[in-house]
Amino acid sequence: MPTSRRRFLRNGLVGGGLLALGGVGLAFYPSKEVAVATEPLAALEARSFQVLVALVSRVVTAKGANPVAIAHGVDRSLSYALPETQEAINKLLGLFENALPGLLLDGRIKPFTRLSPESQDAVLESWRTSRIELRRNGYQALRKLALTAYYMEESSWGPLEYQPPPSLRALAYDDSQVGTPEWLRARSSGDTP
Amino acid sequence: MTKLAVIRSSPNVVDGSQATTDLVLEADVCIVGTGAGGAVTAATLARAGLTVLMLEEGGYFTHADFTMREKDTESRLYQEGMSRTTGDGSIAILQGRAVGGTTVVNWTTCFRTPEDVVEHWKRKHGVASFAYADLVPHYEAIEERLAIAKVSYGSMNPNNKMLHDGCTKLGWGVDTLHRNVHACMQTGFCHLGCPVNAKRSMLVTMIPDAIDAGAKLVFRARADRFDVEAGSVMALRGTLLDGEGRKPTGRTFTVKAKRFVVSGGAINSPALLLRSGIDAGGLVGTRTFLHPAIGSQAFYEDKIEPSRGAPQSAASHHFAHRGEEIGFFLEAVPWYPALIAATTPGFGPAHEAVFTQSPHMAIHIAITIDGFHDDVPGGRVRLRESGAPILDYPIGPKLWNAFRFGQKRLAEMQFASGAKTVRTLHEIPVVMTGKVDEAAIDAARWECGSLPVSTAHQMGGCSMGDDPKTSVVRSEDLRCHTVTNLHVVDGSVFPTSLGVNPQESIYGLARLMATRIAAATRVR
Repeated sequence: MPTSRRRFLRNGLVGGGLLALGGVGLAFYPSKEVAVATEPLAALEARSFQVLVALVSRVVTAKGANPVAIAHGVDRSLSYALPETQEAINKLLGLFENALPGLLLDGRIKPFTRLSPESQDAVLESWRTSRIELRRNGYQALRKLALTAYYMEESSWGPLEYQPPPSLRALAYDDSQVGTPEWLRARSSGDTP
Repeated sequence: MTKLAVIRSSPNVVDGSQATTDLVLEADVCIVGTGAGGAVTAATLARAGLTVLMLEEGGYFTHADFTMREKDTESRLYQEGMSRTTGDGSIAILQGRAVGGTTVVNWTTCFRTPEDVVEHWKRKHGVASFAYADLVPHYEAIEERLAIAKVSYGSMNPNNKMLHDGCTKLGWGVDTLHRNVHACMQTGFCHLGCPVNAKRSMLVTMIPDAIDAGAKLVFRARADRFDVEAGSVMALRGTLLDGEGRKPTGRTFTVKAKRFVVSGGAINSPALLLRSGIDAGGLVGTRTFLHPAIGSQAFYEDKIEPSRGAPQSAASHHFAHRGEEIGFFLEAVPWYPALIAATTPGFGPAHEAVFTQSPHMAIHIAITIDGFHDDVPGGRVRLRESGAPILDYPIGPKLWNAFRFGQKRLAEMQFASGAKTVRTLHEIPVVMTGKVDEAAIDAARWECGSLPVSTAHQMGGCSMGDDPKTSVVRSEDLRCHTVTNLHVVDGSVFPTSLGVNPQESIYGLARLMATRIAAATRVR
């Protein structure tokens, strides 16, 4: 078996094991309620939402950013993902929160939601630079979900000097017939449509 | 009422989400998928007088839905709500999901299949039933219908000009691109669906052509599996989805047809075959290629404003052929707030500090050309428990080497075009000022999850060829070797990647093959 495929499979197995850990040991140290959902959740579990709000608070630090609104944006986006992906993100957030793998890999004893902002940044940093591929990819998935949900909102665009045009609906045209055999015949006969 | 509005409200267009009973449908030919392959096939067959049924899992959107806002559009227009990745999450997969498929959201770059690639397929993969010359009239017809034309240097936005100028200064081959647009207003929003119908996607060309010629379209209809008996498809069974395409409505559909054409694109097409128990001796899903791409951000003194203007208008194939090493080509990437925020590394204030420099940012990518080396087998599509596809694509040492080399060339080109600072997209980025730091690039972490890798070009998985031991469909008419009335017509039949953006390759091949399928179907 080629090395790359072997490594790929091994990483997958390690990843699977770690993800499974995300679902256990939670009673060991319960999550902190950091926010109240302001609308029903479509893809995230209630506990995942709490972890996500805590994570978003550290990933998106722009002035005026609202972590609860961003977490709801993530939830809306995820509602279009496969059920398997939704489940994986919920597990990933569980793993991110969970003190047991945190203790094993980072030496922390508290869940993510109960850490100070500085300690939360340290957890993000450890995932970001981890030797374990699942942690790096997991960090990327969560980071991207948070940033994407924030920067989709027009309220975030001011510092970027970005302003898309207003609706162009009235300027839309219908050139659907350009290049059809009928159109080409008319053009060649001088009767340009 | 415009022609497009007439087509959209035609009784031949059925919204599957609104069906109150299970649907039973019949046609001469049933085509699954309405992207580049399916739409061209449908229009060609319908014009040949066959009764054609098109099925599409995505929604039927129009310019009025394309609001130029990622929030309104990305989840709806892309596969898996734009969350599709390879199995380990390492490669982001951009793939459309709508009536018109990826052509609705692509960046309008058009290339014919390079002649040497068609030759390579013949020599290495037994694609003996057509030559490049057979494709040429079909490219010409498509180019006319889609108004494909070369853009001028003057029409390029600064993001693309930097690429063009940098390559020119270094003496690298570079050219402006051909685009499928007509009276383009240069809004820059190709990626979110063209708000003014300037993009000549399948949505405004071949699908209207097909419906005009009598074809029927059912959207929000997901094909689940073929019933195959004694080497023939007897029926196709599927599920109708809700208006947002997220959940089944509980209604189903069944199709009986003389022939079936699978045009779901690489990843979805092999998955449909696998769900139907068609694996061609284990070949279905294998040799999936992605043109995996890495990027580089450059910062200039002057404003670049990469969100404005045509997303892509220049490309360099200077490094496409690298012998034993994997080649790549260079193109620009448009800037949209969420898309580029996600690919800019870091979090918190560090991310914000870089991302707020966006007006001065240019973004260019090195797109690797996979599938031409024996030790680069590509990816493999397999099925999740639910039947949904998942693609495993291990990134091997050869591809990492190509990324590393491509990263250096990207930086070199960006500095040559006047960049003050160049940043790699590694999570711990290499930040260079004034010149390329090759040692620092070598020392960066080249591993999954430490830098973004993405694909907008999915190819292979149902490889064509004339030997059933090494291919899934025959090159004569893209018919499955083992199923007599089942064809695959889309990018999944390519035996390798292409080395160019794929849409026109799919159009040309589909038109040639649909002509042959039409002739064979009529004879019967």
